[in-house]
Amino acid sequence: MNVITRGIRNAFRNTIRTVSIVTILGLSIGLSLAMLVAHQAVGEKINSVKASVGNTVSISPAGARGFEGGGNALTADQLSKVKSQAHVVSLTESLGDRLTTSDTNLQSAVDAGSLGQRFAQRSGQSMGGPGGGPPALSQDSTSNSGGTTTTFTPPVTVNGTTDPTNLTSSGPGGGGSFTLKSGKVFSSSSTEDVALLGSTLATKNNLKVGSTFTAYNTTITVAGIFDAGNDFSNNQVIMPLAAVQTLSAQPGAITSATAKVDSITNVSSVTSAVKSTLGSATDVTNAADESKNTIAPLENIQTISLYSLIGAVAAGAVIILLTMIMIVRERRREIGVLKAIGAGNGKVVGQFMVEATTLTVLGAFIGIALGVVAGNPITKLLVDNSSNSQTIQGGPGRGGRGFGFVRDNVSSIHAAVGWDIILYGFAAAVLIAVVGSALASFAITKIRPAEVMRTE
Amino acid sequence: MLEVKNLKKSFQSGDATVHAVGGVSFKVLNGQFASIVGTSGSGKSTLLSLLGALDKPTSGSVQVDDRDITSLRDHALTTYRCKSIGFVFQGYNLVPNLTALENVMLPLEFAKLPKAKRVARATELLEQVGFQADQMQRKPGKLSGGQQQRVAIARALANKPKLILADEPTGNLDSQTGKMIFDLLHNLAKSENTTIIAVTHDLSIAGKTDVTFRLQDGKLKER
Repeated sequence: MNVITRGIRNAFRNTIRTVSIVTILGLSIGLSLAMLVAHQAVGEKINSVKASVGNTVSISPAGARGFEGGGNALTADQLSKVKSQAHVVSLTESLGDRLTTSDTNLQSAVDAGSLGQRFAQRSGQSMGGPGGGPPALSQDSTSNSGGTTTTFTPPVTVNGTTDPTNLTSSGPGGGGSFTLKSGKVFSSSSTEDVALLGSTLATKNNLKVGSTFTAYNTTITVAGIFDAGNDFSNNQVIMPLAAVQTLSAQPGAITSATAKVDSITNVSSVTSAVKSTLGSATDVTNAADESKNTIAPLENIQTISLYSLIGAVAAGAVIILLTMIMIVRERRREIGVLKAIGAGNGKVVGQFMVEATTLTVLGAFIGIALGVVAGNPITKLLVDNSSNSQTIQGGPGRGGRGFGFVRDNVSSIHAAVGWDIILYGFAAAVLIAVVGSALASFAITKIRPAEVMRTE
Repeated sequence: MLEVKNLKKSFQSGDATVHAVGGVSFKVLNGQFASIVGTSGSGKSTLLSLLGALDKPTSGSVQVDDRDITSLRDHALTTYRCKSIGFVFQGYNLVPNLTALENVMLPLEFAKLPKAKRVARATELLEQVGFQADQMQRKPGKLSGGQQQRVAIARALANKPKLILADEPTGNLDSQTGKMIFDLLHNLAKSENTTIIAVTHDLSIAGKTDVTFRLQDGKLKER
């Protein structure tokens, strides 16, 4: 029997009280852990969203977006103003073009399908037949008794760029991640008639590194084959910007530019500065502004979970504090006796701290079990409530990527309880025990052994 | 030898100052059994707490073998209470969730004795006060008043103190059990050459002690 075993045994002196305190502490610690789990999960999601958004600003001619809309190509003067903006570290320029069957011997790797046919019709292009004009895109025409039937074939996209590894979604690159599967990447200043081919396009046309194909009546050499992770981007040709400008007879033309900013925190200010500098001639966008809609509810959840975490830990500390004060008051005479028969303050305080720690560690076991079970559901509940309120505030017509994007990002949060969380739980329990029993310990040191004589 | 010189203890009660012990002086020789009698509120328990270093006097001194315990610092006082004094209380004051054996082992633990020696010494003492092995494993709630007081006496003797202070040791017991406890305390103290000072209302017990002090209004009136 020593201070530790006596402290542990004292924790079980009153079964009903022990069960009650341990249960309440367990709920408090469980709520703390659930909030910690939610806080971490949401924090990771915020970082993930920020990382996925990137620190880029897209500039395109006003009214143009990829091959949609219209407008005039960007000028060298406009781009040099963008480069001179503070916080802009680099600028990627690109020129998008499409190769029809009359421009190239490449066969598209994408089937038109019903969507392609519909897009072709809706874009005002004639599909042939009586009264129809010449098709603008690659088509195969066949005659029958009812007239000419035209089959639309999606074009092959050419992306002339100064950064072949940058497949921005707003430009002709179509988005995706660039992974070079074979060959090598050309330099940003290259003027050679070389190309990087998407993997499905290369497979469709039986092309390998070193093979050649024809485009713009010129023989182009395959320098490398890449995988962008999606069929649209893998059906494209990436070439040096200067080569595409020359071959497509568009000297100096730029259809999109991407400015890289030194930090995500400066993206908004750079966007405003570029808009202000270039005026109405360009459309300047960034994904960071759109991501604010996504991050806002997440940050709300993070704040709520942080305050709830602090509140739950504080509640636990108060519970154990009041419990220990109650126990010390109840055992005032016993403390006096212990001191009278030779126990120092350290021994008595130690015994009570072990008792408090025993209660909190037991509470921690229950709390951790609760945290493991309830962490993910509570996080989802917070997310659902937050995203619902955001839907009501935002409404369906706010534009941008809309709340569907937000909800997709927010609802995909998965809160997991790892060993670090469990260790945090035990650390919180010990902290609660130490803080909670501190005042009681102080009270113990103030109890004089003579108290036992006075109450006799 | 215990020598008390002009010992005073005053308390502040509201605006009034209460002189619980007002200039008490006496001597008790080693191995003597002394009793202090007096009416309720005469200052007996306060005097006992001063003798046991449970409280500090307002003035005066308590010398045990020429060592003034009123000038000791906290740590030294704790050691003094642990090794030099044994207490027996009217209400026994055993720790309720410890067995009789564990209660007797407590002061031995505070004196930092190894566990094996603690068990041996506590068992020996409990056997001396008439406990069987199975009774030693009982908690206070399962013991009679007389048995609890015997455990308290064994606990008081655990560290072989020079002085045992007993506050109404037979106050909660019937006369027969009280007499038995008194005899036990007396005999054990004699066998261990321990000085005993007991506060009591029981004049029949007081009459059997080596020396008796009568306290009235905080002052010794007669011997």
